[in-house]
Amino acid sequence: MNTLRADAAVAWAIARKDALAELRGRQAVGSTLFFAALVLLLFGFALGPDSRRLTEAAPGLLWLAIVFGGLLTVARLHQLEADDDALEELARYPIERRAIYAGKALAGLGAMLVLGGVLLPVVAILYGIDLAGAWPALVATLLLGAIGFAAVGTFYAGVTVRMRAREVMLPLLMLPVIAPLLLAAVKATSAALGGDPFGELGAWLQLLAGFDVVMLVAGAATYGYLLEE
Amino acid sequence: MPVRLLGIIGLVGVVAATIFGLFVVPPDGNQGDAQRIMYPHVASAWLAYGSFGVTALAGIGYLWKRDLRLDAVAVSGAEIGVMFTAFAIWGGMMWGRPVWGVFWQWEDPRLTTTALLLALYVGYLLFRRLTDDPARRAARAAVVGVVAAIDIPIVHFSVEWWRGLHQGPTIGSPDRILNPSAPLQFVIALVSMVAAFTVVWLYLMIRRYQLARIEWQIEEHGRLGRISAARRAASVAVGGSAEEGAR
Amino acid sequence: MPQTTIYAAPRSAGPQTPPPAVATVELARLFGRSAALAGVSLRVESGRTIALLGPNGAGKTTLLRILATAIRPSFGTAAVAGFDVAAAPELVRPQVAYLSHATGLYDDLTAEENLRFAATMLGRADGPDATRMALDEVGLATVARDRVRGFSAGMRRRLALGRLLLSRTPLVLLDEPHAALDAEGMRLVDRLMARWRDAGVTVLVASHQAERVTRQADGWARLDGGLLLEVGGEGVSAITATRSAPPLRAPAAVHR
Repeated sequence: MNTLRADAAVAWAIARKDALAELRGRQAVGSTLFFAALVLLLFGFALGPDSRRLTEAAPGLLWLAIVFGGLLTVARLHQLEADDDALEELARYPIERRAIYAGKALAGLGAMLVLGGVLLPVVAILYGIDLAGAWPALVATLLLGAIGFAAVGTFYAGVTVRMRAREVMLPLLMLPVIAPLLLAAVKATSAALGGDPFGELGAWLQLLAGFDVVMLVAGAATYGYLLEE
Repeated sequence: MPVRLLGIIGLVGVVAATIFGLFVVPPDGNQGDAQRIMYPHVASAWLAYGSFGVTALAGIGYLWKRDLRLDAVAVSGAEIGVMFTAFAIWGGMMWGRPVWGVFWQWEDPRLTTTALLLALYVGYLLFRRLTDDPARRAARAAVVGVVAAIDIPIVHFSVEWWRGLHQGPTIGSPDRILNPSAPLQFVIALVSMVAAFTVVWLYLMIRRYQLARIEWQIEEHGRLGRISAARRAASVAVGGSAEEGAR
Repeated sequence: MPQTTIYAAPRSAGPQTPPPAVATVELARLFGRSAALAGVSLRVESGRTIALLGPNGAGKTTLLRILATAIRPSFGTAAVAGFDVAAAPELVRPQVAYLSHATGLYDDLTAEENLRFAATMLGRADGPDATRMALDEVGLATVARDRVRGFSAGMRRRLALGRLLLSRTPLVLLDEPHAALDAEGMRLVDRLMARWRDAGVTVLVASHQAERVTRQADGWARLDGGLLLEVGGEGVSAITATRSAPPLRAPAAVHR
């Protein structure tokens, strides 16, 4: 359909714009990555020094670090629009609301993939994980998890962008919703790293995919209401 | 006063069902007396979820009709629902302790999902508190409520899967296997408690809605009043300047 | 003429009497406790340039923002080219372009990138060309590749005007366009307003600089305290706030 292609063009333009702004935004991106890596380090202090325990807990710790870094990331992407009231300007263009959502979620996805991609080797080093052979499964898990987080995060960042106490409201609203994603992503990562002894990897990836689809549809359908004043 | 009557019926019903459940029904074959807490626990759990459904549906209704009365229903559902949720969790823990040996069992999808439901409720209510403009609050809260409601079945499903695929040792089986000694009385106790709780819930909802309605009417009156005051002030000014000669 | 391509989209043959460019009925908007607009009924004919006058807090900006679909009305209705702003904002958006107080620019992008982005959002197929023309028109061609972060307030305002030029809508709303501009910049605004007028675009301009804008306007409307006090000139008509005005109709239980 013609409008679908127009939506895609709009979404892509928005994602590109965000990516450009992010990359030029000096230290913001790097700071978030460093923070997430720091969190992983701190987990080591909290749960160590028994390496075996850390290795067992590694999938969970990895995804927790991704979640924490992700919260900062999605908040930042919406803050781009808060400067100079650009969000209002964006909302006034004759474009579909769902295209705006798609664009911002796409930018979020990119940022989350970068985050995950950086943290994976950090986890491997700090917690003694052997990644060999698990790559396809890990990439799939990371991708599906990032999509879900971006879908939910973009929505809630839109909810909280101009609120009082938004720094605490974003995680407060978002984390309960993200619980199934966290659960499934950790289980899938665990299975992938362990060689999938029980054949459960497929099931968890399916759950992630289902979550992603539902949240993307919900976000796209409701984002327009968040732009109202 | 039909609403007050509803409240009285509800209260009497709860007391009656409690007496029945505590003293008349024989203890469960498997769990003994500990099982009795199931009656109010299940009743409040069902209402906890139902209430959130009401909030979500009322929110959708608001987005469709833009009638703030629907928003009043939504907030009523959330405030009443959060109470029932807290009680359901407490009941679940009280039930769990003698049966599992622990207060919390991660693999019980009902308990963990209900805990998340509580978090979603609290988030919704806090969110409402931080937004001032009524129309804006109603629209945004509706959206937050709907997305939260969509999440609940996903959470339940995934926790169930979590349990199902997990092969490690468990402290106690999360399933509270029941073996009712007198099945008919068991059913009566459960149904009567659920019915009584539902009546209480309905009563509380109506009262809360009435309160919200009054608040809204006061607010509305104030808003219209401010507009009329502005107009009166201006018409005095226009009357004055008109005397200076029209253009 | 090339200006027509920038300033107004080509007109298609339509009905004999088009709906008024702007029509509001008892339009009111509250912010918390204060009534920014307390019931304004205004009608602006298509193709006219109308000045909105009044002191700070009179409601000029609020009126423009409602027409631009940036905020929703609390009471009453507003229609742009016959489309209701509350019921059908998606139909109103292609009809109106708005220059607001805040410029809504992305600091980390260049002037050119900001406009290219806007052109894509506006669905313009000729993005690069239109962007170049717009930058030339507002005198920012030399700084096209510079990031907006380093721009002065005047330059940002010019860039925002450039973005406005990309929209080619039948209605243009200007909120204090002369603010933050030097003499050269103000002449630019005057020039743009003249070109819009020639192209048959309806322009609503809110300004403190009453003399400057009324010189270029067909008509004017004066607001104060959220109410329309008087109108004058051509192309604008109103039900002004007098004691004999119809009472404010509270829309039962429904807000729009």
